Formats: sequence, C-alpha cells, structure tokens
Amino acid sequence: MRFLGVLAVALGLAACSRPVPPAPTAEQALALAPADARLATLYADSCKACHAIPGTGAPLVHDRKAWDPRWKQGEAVLLDHTVQGFQAMPAGGQCVACTPSDFNALIRFMAGREDSAG
Amino acid sequence: MKVSRRDALLVGAGVGVAAVGGGYAVATHDKPEPSAPPTTDARGHLLWRNWSGVQHAYPAVRLAPKTEAEVAQGLRTAVAPVRPVGAGHSFTALAPTNGTLVSLDGISGIIGWEGDEAVVAAGTRLGGLGPALAAKGRAMANLPDINKQALAGALATATHGTGATIKALHGDVTALRLVTPQGEVIDCGEDRDADIFQAAKVSLGALGVIIQVRMKTTANRRLERNVWLEPFEDALAKAEERWARHRNYEFYAVPFTGLAACISHDETDAPALARGPDQDTIFLDALKGMRNLLGFSAPLRKAAAKTLLGGTKPEKAIDEGWKLLSTERPVRFNEMEFHLPVGVQLKALAEIVAVIEKERPDVFFPIECRRIAPDDAWLSPFQGEPRGSIAVHAHYKDEFAFLYTLIEPIFRRYGGRPHWGKLHSVTGGQLETMYPRWNDFLKVRAQLDPDGRMLNPYLKGLFGV
Repeated sequence: MRFLGVLAVALGLAACSRPVPPAPTAEQALALAPADARLATLYADSCKACHAIPGTGAPLVHDRKAWDPRWKQGEAVLLDHTVQGFQAMPAGGQCVACTPSDFNALIRFMAGREDSAG
Repeated sequence: MKVSRRDALLVGAGVGVAAVGGGYAVATHDKPEPSAPPTTDARGHLLWRNWSGVQHAYPAVRLAPKTEAEVAQGLRTAVAPVRPVGAGHSFTALAPTNGTLVSLDGISGIIGWEGDEAVVAAGTRLGGLGPALAAKGRAMANLPDINKQALAGALATATHGTGATIKALHGDVTALRLVTPQGEVIDCGEDRDADIFQAAKVSLGALGVIIQVRMKTTANRRLERNVWLEPFEDALAKAEERWARHRNYEFYAVPFTGLAACISHDETDAPALARGPDQDTIFLDALKGMRNLLGFSAPLRKAAAKTLLGGTKPEKAIDEGWKLLSTERPVRFNEMEFHLPVGVQLKALAEIVAVIEKERPDVFFPIECRRIAPDDAWLSPFQGEPRGSIAVHAHYKDEFAFLYTLIEPIFRRYGGRPHWGKLHSVTGGQLETMYPRWNDFLKVRAQLDPDGRMLNPYLKGLFGV
C-alpha cells in the first residue's frame, strides 16, 4: 500500500512536472496566428480583435493559465458557448463564416491545445 | 490627493464590505446567464445570434464570398430571404434569416486610393481600417463608440460618433459599388445614379450587397482625450458650449448618482501619452454593485455614488485618433438610441434620467448623449439637420421592455428618429412622416429588388411591404 502511495505521488509529480507555458506578452499575442491559412484569416477577422489584446476580458491567445479551466469543461461545452455566446463572449465570436469544425480548431489554437486536434 | 476611477472604486468596494458585511455578496451577485437557443436547429442548421443575443436565426445557407463575381453569382441563386451581415452588432432584426446569410468578412481591406479618398472593401472591420489608413497617414474623420463593426454594416445603419461638426460615417462616402439581388453590379455616386447613391448610403442592407465604398479621409492627427466626472447638472449646463468648442464631445448621464462622465477629444501636436487600462468596465461593475446593494433606496444609492466617485481624478491620453475614439465594451447590453432635434436633446435627456430614477431602480448603465452634423442621405437620421443622440442601455441579463414602454414614448414625443440598428418599434407610416424622402427610397428599393428577396419579415414590416 505504501508503495502504491509513493507511486501515486510520483505519478502526480510527473503529471505536474510538465510546466504550463508562460502567458505571451502583448506583442507576442498580437503576432500569433494559426498555421492553416483559412483559420488564420478567420482568426484575424474575428477572434483576434478580443483574444489577442490584453484587458478586453477575453482569455488571451495561448495563455494556458486563463484557458486551462475553460478547457476542462470539454470541447463540446466550449463550442456551445462559442456558438450561443456566453457572458462577454458574443455569439459565434462574430464569425459568420465559421463552421463548427472551424470553431473547434480556433478554440484549440487559442487554448494552446493544438496537439489535441482530432 | 485625488485618486483614479479604478482606485476610488476598489477602495469604495472595501468600505462597502466593511460597512455592510454580507452586502458584498449582494453587490457582486450576478444573474444567471439567459437561456440560449440550441446550437443547431432540427434541420441541423447552425445558430446565428447577434452580439447582444437578442436576435437569432438558423440560416439554411451561409455564403462567404471573397470576390465581386462570387457575390453576384451567390445572389442570383441564393435562397431568400437574403441578408448580408457584418459583425452582428445591430440589435434590431436586420440580419436574421432562415434563408441565406451573406458574410462580408471575405470582402475586406483597402482596395486603392483616389487622391485622399480610400476605396475600401465593405466587409472591412472598423478596427482593422484604422491602422490600414494610418499606414498612409490618413484616418476616418470619426469613429463610433466601438470599432468591431464591418464598414458596410456601420453605413447601412447610419452608425455615428460624436462631434457637432462631424458627420456620421456615411457622410464621408463619395461612391458605392452595389450588387443587386439579380447579380447586377452598380457603381453609384453623386454624379452617377445619384438617386441610387442617396438611397444606398443608408439602406439597411435592403438594396443588395454593398461591396465597395469610396470615402473621404482626414489627416491622421493626434488627439488629446480627456475623461472626467462632474455633477449631472453641470454637464447639462455646459454641453452646448462644449459641443461648440471640442472636436468631439459626449457625456454619459449616470442614473442614481447625480453625476455625468464627460469625454472630449481635440487635435494636438503634444507627445503621445498612453491611454492606460480600461476603466469603464470597472466603473460599470461598481454601478451594478451599487444597484444590487442599494437599489431599494435611490437617495442612499446616490449618496454612496457621490462618496465613492465624487473625487475621482480626470483621465488624459494622447494618441492617434483611431486608437482613442472607440472603446472596448466587454460587457454586453441591449440598447435603444434615438436622434433628436438639437433644441430638445438636453430637455429630453433630463426627462429620461428623471423617469428612470423614479420608476426603474434596476437600471445602472450610463445614458450616452452625443451630437452629430447633418447630411443628405435619404434614410439618414441626420438628414437635413444636426441631431442630438440619446442612447439608453440595459445589461444583457436585465429586462429591457422598459425601453419600449417608458423611454421610446419620450423619444417620439420630442421628434426623435430611431437608430436603424438599435431597438425601436417605429414602422412604415410613422417613418414616412419622419423622412421626407421615405417614399423615394421605397421606389428605389422596389426597382432594385422587385421580388423582395432581400426582405426578411422585419424589413417587410419596417417598409410596409
């Protein structure tokens, strides 16, 4: 049992040992963009107006500290909040041309979770 | 020593907590998120909703053309009603359609220059247009309170800023390129298809899709922005003199405080001075907190506001105009704005503040008061004479029917014309009495869209079609 306890602590430490990247500076946030050209255009036309500017109330792009609690709710919840609007977030992020898969990809990009694409 | 609005409000919050203990929980209590329509409808069509959330639809088709040819082809075959949409900032039902929603996001950027006039793709967001014009040393003469809108949407609804000598945005338009519902491309201006031009400058997206705008620009001057609080009575007494003196001047009557927040902008060559972090959102939160805590007593609420806010320090910033004239508005709201003859604007404002303080203790949003120069677009609310605008807001979680029952009758009694993108209940015959060229507009509309393919139920009602 003691061994299992030590193992659990060790696993916990291992899980915690992956550091959360620091939040981008204002200049870095402005320069970030999705690699995909279509997504980059959608992002620039809509999301960027709030999510790349500190102080707008929107979680800053690639700011894992701000995004991680949201990410834990699950992608389906985040998609609903995005399409329906939620608190300060206007419905659809004011992106009329975005499809649900675009929204999912944009959320992953802004949340710093592009490795979760699937 | 004077303190900033932020400092005053933070200290005030602490005092409030100490004084009333559990009152902090009441002050910061938030209403639940309003129920939202489903993300998709029974047909699997994705939800579209406006910025405030008060309008929604499930368009069968969404078009996102990137070229003039794609717009024309799309319009020829689109499922009606066809509605163009920009950023979705209109509170009225201009955009909702279960037919075809046409996004202008792909029609964006500066296309070229004709002297100092910029030729701009109509889907360009105002927030992106500022830096693009500044790269050429130019600027729009004025900007609205926010800059998230698409240019076409801002023009379609006669969106405006403030300034006694500065026109609404469409007042600087010198030519337009319009794609009709039949896919015909029309270039119009003061000397070419002038009737279509005067109708199209402010046209609610009802004549087709405007894809290109030629507009006057001004030198990209640096402005000095000043923000200060003062007694509401002083703001009323000094408003006319300030509109005459400042390039841009507006003030917000803050109900249940006895105060007004005043904002001026004037050209300067002084060195830049950073604007600093957003104070308005903190200010709004404090007003909401006082509403929640002291809404049962207007005198107590007013006394608390004067104590917390009365000695706050003015704010000053200096920068290029496109960086200062608009403000981030992360708190969503619903809004009614009417444009009144200037001679009755302040009287109407005083009456509105009085009736809100008497009958609506739930209201906490400041009431915006602006001035706009006249122009000649047929459906411009500023057509023929300068107008004074008054805008009343309700937090997006709050009930807003009072705007129709309590506020709109005052606006109407004083001869106000409604903002096309903001809540109102004015229709057909009433609009005919407000706009001398109303029937001329309807003739152009019928000529360009004889089958009414651009009309959703809201627009049919508005036009009496």
